[in-house]
Amino acid sequence: MATSICRTLKYLQPTICLNIKPVFVPIRTKKRYFIPPAVNVKQKSQSEQETKARAAGVVVRQQYIERAINISCTAGIFDPYIPPEGDARLSTLSKEGLKQRTEQLRQSAASQLAFRKIKDHDPEFSTKEFPALAQQIFIDAHAALTQFNKEKLHSLVTERCYPEMVRGNRYKTLRWRFIESLEPPRVVHARCPDMISKGNLYGQVTLRVHSRQTLAIYDRFGRLMLGDEDEPRDVLEYLVLERHLVNPYGRWRLHGKIVPAWAPPKDPIIKTVIIPGPTLKPEEAFEDLHYQVPKPKAVQWYK
Amino acid sequence: MAASVVTWAGLAAFGRACGSIRSRLLGSSSTLSQVSCLHTSTELNSKHWERKNLVVYPPQQKDELRRPAEIYHCRRQIKYSKDKMWYLAKLIRGMTIDQALTQLEFNDKKGAKIIKEVILEAQDMAVRNHNVEYKSNLYIAESFSGKGKYLKRIRYHGRGMFGIMDKVHCHYFVKLVEGVPPKVEQKTGFDQAKEYVEQLRNRTIIHSL
Repeated sequence: MATSICRTLKYLQPTICLNIKPVFVPIRTKKRYFIPPAVNVKQKSQSEQETKARAAGVVVRQQYIERAINISCTAGIFDPYIPPEGDARLSTLSKEGLKQRTEQLRQSAASQLAFRKIKDHDPEFSTKEFPALAQQIFIDAHAALTQFNKEKLHSLVTERCYPEMVRGNRYKTLRWRFIESLEPPRVVHARCPDMISKGNLYGQVTLRVHSRQTLAIYDRFGRLMLGDEDEPRDVLEYLVLERHLVNPYGRWRLHGKIVPAWAPPKDPIIKTVIIPGPTLKPEEAFEDLHYQVPKPKAVQWYK
Repeated sequence: MAASVVTWAGLAAFGRACGSIRSRLLGSSSTLSQVSCLHTSTELNSKHWERKNLVVYPPQQKDELRRPAEIYHCRRQIKYSKDKMWYLAKLIRGMTIDQALTQLEFNDKKGAKIIKEVILEAQDMAVRNHNVEYKSNLYIAESFSGKGKYLKRIRYHGRGMFGIMDKVHCHYFVKLVEGVPPKVEQKTGFDQAKEYVEQLRNRTIIHSL
């Protein structure tokens, strides 16, 4: 059997140790497929290992610990709008309802300031025309979600809202229809936070939408998971739209939804789900424990 | 040891000749519209079984039968023989998931523990990601093993002889389907004999009087 040469001669020059004369040293060049772990070796600390590696000539590439930051949208909703309780319960025609409405819009001076700042940067913004535009953005965004058109969805929805809308829906079929708007949408709140540096303004406007919609979610196999395609529901939502004001190419995009603390609980899914209970000791029985399933706290949260 | 007179230059020339022959064949076949003589095989590193989990079916109408959920799962490059794994895969074919897990737990083979882990993973995936309601309502529709990539090592024999030892690996594939397992009809020997006699009686003799 012909074998390749396994030994070559390496020329050692007196670089490190000056006592050695320049000489040829025979070394093995055959590849070792298996190096057994060294036995009885004492554990070296990190600094010792580093000095050894440097002496041997092993170079470790610089590790870049990078984290991508998105500057085209903010990470949350600043100074969020707290919807008053019984918002959709009182009818608009009653005296109380009217008073509440007029109070809300006049009250917040900060909102007025924010509107002025937005109008400075975007002269075409008006409190009267914006709601119709925003509702159209909302309808288009949800239609794009149904078709799962990624590019269109990114242009209508901010980067913070996109994963929340899309998570878990990739292998599901969504059927959503916007039937009609029960009340004309209104702007209820606005804020203009600035991120990182002082002049970097973002505008966040909250819109109150009362509409009728149908939603049906089907899983991977075409079986109904949630909702009904033929049953329209009345929905009261507080949408937050955001725009990077300083950017001339910025657009008003859906940033999130505010779910008030007094919102009615959502419908359960058409599936029995196991709620993890307490771990029992061998002598205990579950019925004797009288375990109460913990109900979540009624807190306002953002979608 | 037999000395072969194959040199590297000769091998290279042979390879080039093969390539030219193949290109000539391809050229002749591409002039025809159909390329039926070419055998299209799967590429290296093809993960088809995992991709079966990404198929989305259109929504069903209300009057249609509810489509049973199908979950595909596999484990690659298990350090075990594919032939030995086949016995365990054949054992659990067609069983309910609970029955399969019990049988594997009390089986002494090395592959049983691995298959049990795979089935438990698949069950967990089914409940979390694939909208399966009851985790016991699953049965094993398909279960088989395949050959993985082998590592080759030298096995030393006496008198300077050697053999190439294969370090065997296998893949294991399983498909879980929601619902009750279909009943397999057990045919008795008497039924088979009856069928045979019927076949003999149904023969017709052609060109007879």
